[in-house]
Amino acid sequence: MNDLLVAGGIGVAFGCALECAGLGDPPKLAGQFYLRDFTVLKVMLSAMLTAMLGAFWGGRLGMFDSAAFYVPDTYLLPQLLGGLVFGLGFVLSGLCPGTSCVALASGRVEGAATMLGLFAGVLLVGMAFPAIEPFYRSTPYGPLTLQRLTGLPYGVMVALVTVVAVSALTWIAKRETGP
Amino acid sequence: MKLVRQLGISALALGLGAPFAGSLFRTQPRGLDLDSIARAIDEGSDHVSARQLAEWIRDRRPGLRVIDVRSPAEFRDDPIPTAENVPIDQLAKSHFAPGQTMVLYSQEGAHAGQAWVMLRSLGVTQAVFVPGGLADWRDEVLYPLLPPNASPAERARIEALSHYFGGSPRIGAEQGGNVASATRIGHGSRRRGC
Amino acid sequence: MRTRRPYAEPHLTGVCLGLLLLACFALTGQGLGASGAFASVASGVVGTVSPEAAAHSAYFRSYLQDGSPWTAWIVVEIIGVLIGASASAALAGRTRLTSVHAIRPSAGKLFAGVAGGTLMGIGAALARGCTSGLALSGGAMLSVGAWIFMAALFLAGFLAAPFVRRLWP
Repeated sequence: MNDLLVAGGIGVAFGCALECAGLGDPPKLAGQFYLRDFTVLKVMLSAMLTAMLGAFWGGRLGMFDSAAFYVPDTYLLPQLLGGLVFGLGFVLSGLCPGTSCVALASGRVEGAATMLGLFAGVLLVGMAFPAIEPFYRSTPYGPLTLQRLTGLPYGVMVALVTVVAVSALTWIAKRETGP
Repeated sequence: MKLVRQLGISALALGLGAPFAGSLFRTQPRGLDLDSIARAIDEGSDHVSARQLAEWIRDRRPGLRVIDVRSPAEFRDDPIPTAENVPIDQLAKSHFAPGQTMVLYSQEGAHAGQAWVMLRSLGVTQAVFVPGGLADWRDEVLYPLLPPNASPAERARIEALSHYFGGSPRIGAEQGGNVASATRIGHGSRRRGC
Repeated sequence: MRTRRPYAEPHLTGVCLGLLLLACFALTGQGLGASGAFASVASGVVGTVSPEAAAHSAYFRSYLQDGSPWTAWIVVEIIGVLIGASASAALAGRTRLTSVHAIRPSAGKLFAGVAGGTLMGIGAALARGCTSGLALSGGAMLSVGAWIFMAALFLAGFLAAPFVRRLWP
């Protein structure tokens, strides 16, 4: 029960944050793919950077056990194909699963249309699962991380990602204020 | 806009400081407690089986660190998923947090056992090793022999574990039944989806 | 009508979202998510309508084996998202009822929404996560799969964008 209260509370804050950033607005999200509106990248990179640095330093300073944080399993080919299909759907609908809920909650019928499609998509996969199961389970690498892949220490990998992400955000800011 | 720039600068500072964070926290007491070492060996609390390790990796046991003590070249060839490479000569320089469980392994197990004693002498008590090393990993986890008299549930369990790490079980010598028909079992109570 | 407040600064919102994600990790050990809720509810529907079909697919089974799919953690979280987003939109005067005639999206656009949703449902199921659960949460934990998913997502998005330009004038 307590667990579900946490879930609800985190959900409310999550929805609120997405809505405040304007991520319930399909033209705004689709604008990312036409390089007109960089909100998606700005929010995603800032959030990821914050969480990554927080997890690293919090764990190092003993505030929590960041080694226990869930690292998703890597399945190379399914995730590569999944990402390609997902990107195609993203630019078609101008929404993603989380933001479709935000779009609906802020009154947009497009959100409901996308949510309907999402149900259809997972239903299709579930129905066809016996046929695609070998592919679904192919190329497993377990909870592989970038630092293990490259053999670099965790801290060095964090520094590299930080430099890349901050440079990308700076480039975006320059592009927007420039001519 | 100024605030955003400040945020960016603090992110850079925190990020660039990260590589040096490990060295700040090395305050392990040194000393060889021979009695406790003998007790651990006697009780068998000094080692875990390859299958136990596989289950820990799959179930994401909190604080688990799998450590390959072989040379980097051997490590690149066939590591255990999630393992990190700390060759024997680097062991004394490494940092181990108190809440972590270190599982050491090597090719056959002897080096891992020696590394275990080294860690104990560094005051690291929360380490264990895999006695059969990678050989056991292959025979017990990746390509386990399904015992002919095992129950279907037991077979499914072994099979699911082997599939999780990309292997496949061998069929027991005495029987030729089809292994593939055994039902697969998902991975426990982990939260599903995103 | 109340005045419509502009959207918040994206970097600041991103930092707040990152702190929320960190809190979620610290409290539950796992990150945020969204597509899992759709899969869980879909599994629940299939399990109710046709238990045989659900038992036949390991995908549905995996969502049905850990208790009720209707009150799974991620479903409750998404209900929270709906509540939080509608409250935030209403308070800031940003609610836009696009079902009214003047700004109702065209049928083609709605169809694109459904088609895009279907593709994303398939993609998220294959990849075991979506932008929130895999790309954001996994990316922050430096998961290789998360970064591959993110790279593939943006690659496909940018490649496909010129072909659907009509949708986004």
